[in-house]
Amino acid sequence: MNTYKKTYIALTFAVLFMFSFSYMLVPLYDIFCEITGLNGKTNQERVIVDKEEITDRYVTVKFTSTVANSAPFNFEPIDREMVVRVGKVNNTFYTLTNNSNTIKHATASPSVVPGEHAEYFKKIECFCFSQQQINGLETKELPIQFVVDTDLPKNIKTLILSYTMFNTTDQVGSN
Amino acid sequence: MSTNIDKLHDDHHHTPSGIMRWITTTNHKDIGTLYLWFSLLMFFIGGFMALVIRAELFQPGLQLVIPGFFNQMTTMHALIMIFGAVMPAFVGLANWQIPLMIGAPDMALPRLNNWSFWILPFAFTMMISTLFFESGGPAAGWTLYPPLSLQGGDSMPFVILSIHMLGLSSILGAINVIATILNMRAPGMTLMKMPIFVWTWLITAFLLIAAMPVLAGAITMLLTDRFFGTTFFTASGGGDPVMFQHIFWFFGHPEVYILILPAFGIISTIIPAFSRKKLFGYDSMVYATASIALLSFVVWAHHMFTVGMPLAGEIFFMLTTMLIAVPTGVKVFNWVATMWRGSMTFETPMLFAIAFIVLFTIGGFSGLMLAMVPADFQYHDTYFVVAHFHYVLVPGAVFAIIAAVYYWLPKWTGKMYDESLGKIHFWLTTIFVNLTFFPMHFVGLAGMPRRIPDYAVQFADFNAIASVGAFGFGLSQLMFVYILYKTLKKDVTAEDKVWDGAEGLEWTLSSPPPYHSFNVAPKID
Repeated sequence: MNTYKKTYIALTFAVLFMFSFSYMLVPLYDIFCEITGLNGKTNQERVIVDKEEITDRYVTVKFTSTVANSAPFNFEPIDREMVVRVGKVNNTFYTLTNNSNTIKHATASPSVVPGEHAEYFKKIECFCFSQQQINGLETKELPIQFVVDTDLPKNIKTLILSYTMFNTTDQVGSN
Repeated sequence: MSTNIDKLHDDHHHTPSGIMRWITTTNHKDIGTLYLWFSLLMFFIGGFMALVIRAELFQPGLQLVIPGFFNQMTTMHALIMIFGAVMPAFVGLANWQIPLMIGAPDMALPRLNNWSFWILPFAFTMMISTLFFESGGPAAGWTLYPPLSLQGGDSMPFVILSIHMLGLSSILGAINVIATILNMRAPGMTLMKMPIFVWTWLITAFLLIAAMPVLAGAITMLLTDRFFGTTFFTASGGGDPVMFQHIFWFFGHPEVYILILPAFGIISTIIPAFSRKKLFGYDSMVYATASIALLSFVVWAHHMFTVGMPLAGEIFFMLTTMLIAVPTGVKVFNWVATMWRGSMTFETPMLFAIAFIVLFTIGGFSGLMLAMVPADFQYHDTYFVVAHFHYVLVPGAVFAIIAAVYYWLPKWTGKMYDESLGKIHFWLTTIFVNLTFFPMHFVGLAGMPRRIPDYAVQFADFNAIASVGAFGFGLSQLMFVYILYKTLKKDVTAEDKVWDGAEGLEWTLSSPPPYHSFNVAPKID
């Protein structure tokens, strides 16, 4: 009877372990993405730059935007393209217009292409760090301050920064 | 323990009669029978949905159903066939056969066994009832990919809860199988002397225990994303829908081996019986099964080559996937070598088993084609994929189940089925199954996408052929029901050893076997 019990207990633990393992996969996935730069996930925290190391190297940074799930927004970059010096701090902004009559909350999710070089795109200031509140029919300027890291591999001439703007009004309402 | 069984010895006196016998039963044979009937019912419900799909696809354009309902049909067809037809059929076979084959009186956990079956009807009632909701049933595909599955109607929490229940049922069944096999074998039956079907089920049970909780986790995350504000897969909160695909297929790939390993066990039992030879390479069969099971945990991303992965990742998953062809090739080689120079006869179970080898191998080869990353970029989400997995599941898993039923039916019921009707059933099934699924290779390679109710006119001819095949296949299975009915109505008793080449403890018992199989454990040398 004893060996029976051992079997049951071991198997029950195996089941519980595998269930928790499915949740462990979530942080593991994030770590994996961070190491490999998969999905173009950029650093979610702001970078502090004490001293600029301006170089003579130039790269093109392109800006794109998407509005998710037909939210009532117009969301556009003011500069479609910038030629920037590697190491220099740059400023630009996106404009967000609320086409509806009511107050909306919006959250932007950033992504960099090519994904494996997302880590070299450093954001000092970004509207993607926080949730935006926008009144009905209002237009807002959303600033970004960024620097392209001097360690960026030499063969990279262009980086694309893409934002997707989500309507999170419902999620705010339920919280 | 043994005194308990002795008390129960004069079985039928202690069992309630009528419907209560089946509801309260803890007998492995009764539960096995329940599983098998339930699986047959689900096979027909899921098959009916497949026919709705094929009827709509008979011609280009929209004829019979609206696209939303079409999507519900593809989703429900898959869920019902996987969780309702194939898995319960294998658990039913395990319940019937494992105690008989290892010389045990019953399963190790009879009450749990009862519960794991009786969860199923409730889970499926709930799942199928969503089709009658105003917002309809689940329509995002059986893989439940977010964000689409999060945007579905009211059916979503019901479907998720029913999948939880199905998972629970499978896990309990798996614990029971492992506990039985590890603790209740007849004295002298070492692990490497176990019948191969028992081996494949032992490995399958471990796969179930490792994979089903991961599915439970993934769908729980979907549920909390939708209703409790978590953002595992919601991009607006920093989540990632692609992560769902990784977690899902971490379950999903072992799952496809859960659906095929017991079939390998059945074929490895039937082929030697009708070749009148011992199974060629028993040890290598065991090791091949185990290595397929282990490899199944490191190949999941081949289901999602097109999501955007680093090159190293694609190469890794491509190579591990192709590696699975090696142990699978060993198995096919062993089956052919078992038949080589055997005194073969071709009764119905053997016909289904031989067709399994041929047709499953075709499915295996198309799988190998899909494993190649550059090729997969073209094949992804086309009918080629549909052709591939139907070749391994229908003439694979389903043929093995039908073969097993023909092979053991005389043992279970004590009555012989009608051999000539069985052969007609085999030929109709085999012809129509190929008529249904073979043209799908062609339309898939030509670029017809899956899960679409309408298609471009150049695919019309092959789709019409596939639809004719599907109706022929579906109707031929009514013949299977008639054969079962006719067998059960018979009075003629089958011999104890129905097949002269068959080996194993189950053939030492009477046909049908006594209610409690082995009250005294048999001796194995």
